[in-house]
Amino acid sequence: MTVLPFAHALVAREDLPVPAWLFAWGASIVLIVSFFALSAGWRRPRFEEDRWRPLGAGVSRALLGWPLQALCGLVGVLLLGVAVYAGLRGTEAPDRNFALTFIFVTVWLGFPLLSVLLGDVFRPFNPWRALGRTAGALFRTVAGQPAARLAYPQRLGRWPAAIGLMAFVWLEIVYGSSGGVVVGVDPHAAGVAALVYSVYTLAMMALFGVEEWCERGEFLSVYFGMFSQLGSFAVKGGRLGVRRPLAAASHWATVPGSTAVVIASIATTSFDGAGEGAFKGGIEWLFERFIDAGLGLTFALRLTDTIFMALCFAGVGLVYLLGVRGMRTIHGAPSLATLRSGFAHALIPIAFAYLVAHYFSQVVFLEQAQFTYLLSDPLGTASTDLFGTASSGIDFKVISATTIWYVQVGALVVGHVVGLVLAHDRALVYWRDYRDATRSQYWMLAVMVAFTCFGLYLLSVANA
Amino acid sequence: MIPLAHVGHYLWILYVLPVLLVIGGIVRTMLLERRRRSKEGGDGP
Repeated sequence: MTVLPFAHALVAREDLPVPAWLFAWGASIVLIVSFFALSAGWRRPRFEEDRWRPLGAGVSRALLGWPLQALCGLVGVLLLGVAVYAGLRGTEAPDRNFALTFIFVTVWLGFPLLSVLLGDVFRPFNPWRALGRTAGALFRTVAGQPAARLAYPQRLGRWPAAIGLMAFVWLEIVYGSSGGVVVGVDPHAAGVAALVYSVYTLAMMALFGVEEWCERGEFLSVYFGMFSQLGSFAVKGGRLGVRRPLAAASHWATVPGSTAVVIASIATTSFDGAGEGAFKGGIEWLFERFIDAGLGLTFALRLTDTIFMALCFAGVGLVYLLGVRGMRTIHGAPSLATLRSGFAHALIPIAFAYLVAHYFSQVVFLEQAQFTYLLSDPLGTASTDLFGTASSGIDFKVISATTIWYVQVGALVVGHVVGLVLAHDRALVYWRDYRDATRSQYWMLAVMVAFTCFGLYLLSVANA
Repeated sequence: MIPLAHVGHYLWILYVLPVLLVIGGIVRTMLLERRRRSKEGGDGP
């Protein structure tokens, strides 16, 4: 039986043909060349319209009809129930309990990939949406009218989702393993957190409406929905259709708080990568100061990590705002607020690239556990063998450490080039003269190079 | 004696350099453009 530590740096990199830092230089050169290629050959905006066109009516009926939607909702509710039950009643060994891998790997890392490839697939599987819609339908049947609801405060926008996202990652990384020392996120805590979040989400849905809360406040819906904007598949007016890839992203960030969501995504991933590597010295230093000040061990660990996580959010936000501030200096620039929300969508591919780069190996290895022994024995108590795979293990040789490194570098480079493309396209909307648009993007180029080098630095330290 | 054992602590500089070079290039280009524009403006009536 393979015992797996629930950690993030799962493998050490093998020898590379050139030093890791040279990859940062190479990636920077790719970005600079891409920037000049865009300046020369991309002179009118192409992503303002997504050019959505419907697929056949039969496809929409089959995939969006109530039988399949109800089945997906039922599966979502069932899996949430299994995760909560396993968390509360299963083993405390994190690697043997279904709850942790399901919540923090399969759902958290799997849906972003599925969303980019297939569209917003979380929507039909969302257990809280399914429960909320069912409760709404029952209420309508009994009361003969739809339930009254409050108007959602538009100024709040997606801020509840941004806070939810930070809280979720805080639970996993800070509450769970402050400064590399495991102090908490045991399956029981994850089960309780899932229950508390379920009550909170259902209450918010009752107050503001199911779809409204999924669109703005339910952080998993917002987070996965954000990544689905990069892909081709989308539902409009009850019909499934295809659209120009990336185009939908250009209008996603117009809702207040959207910039915070995408910055939180990059910041939390960065902190997860840096906590065990690049920030380790700083975290230890601050932790010792808190201990000297008389704080308890666990509280000091959590406080230190919380501060560094907040600093990551502030740092990523500051780099983005500096890029936006630089654009403001170009003649004919719109207001700072317009620029701030107008270019936030260019960070979505970067958020996705950071996810792939930091968690690719974790997904490859832990999904083997998810679909073998964790599925057969969800409680991890050796009491069930539902699919006959309870004694399976993880094959750590399924992919080499060097291949993982190349996937990480490739994801970061492609993600940032796509970010440059989206930013350049938006600049052509704000500055009609393509030369002004190009000048405005000098600063976004600096932002992209900074994020790329930072991401590669985090990986190189974490893998060392 | 050079403390080569600690050279790893300074590797981050190699990751910051490309960013500084790009920012330097941007600032230089913008200064040159500003100078050219003010010169063109000065030549006018």
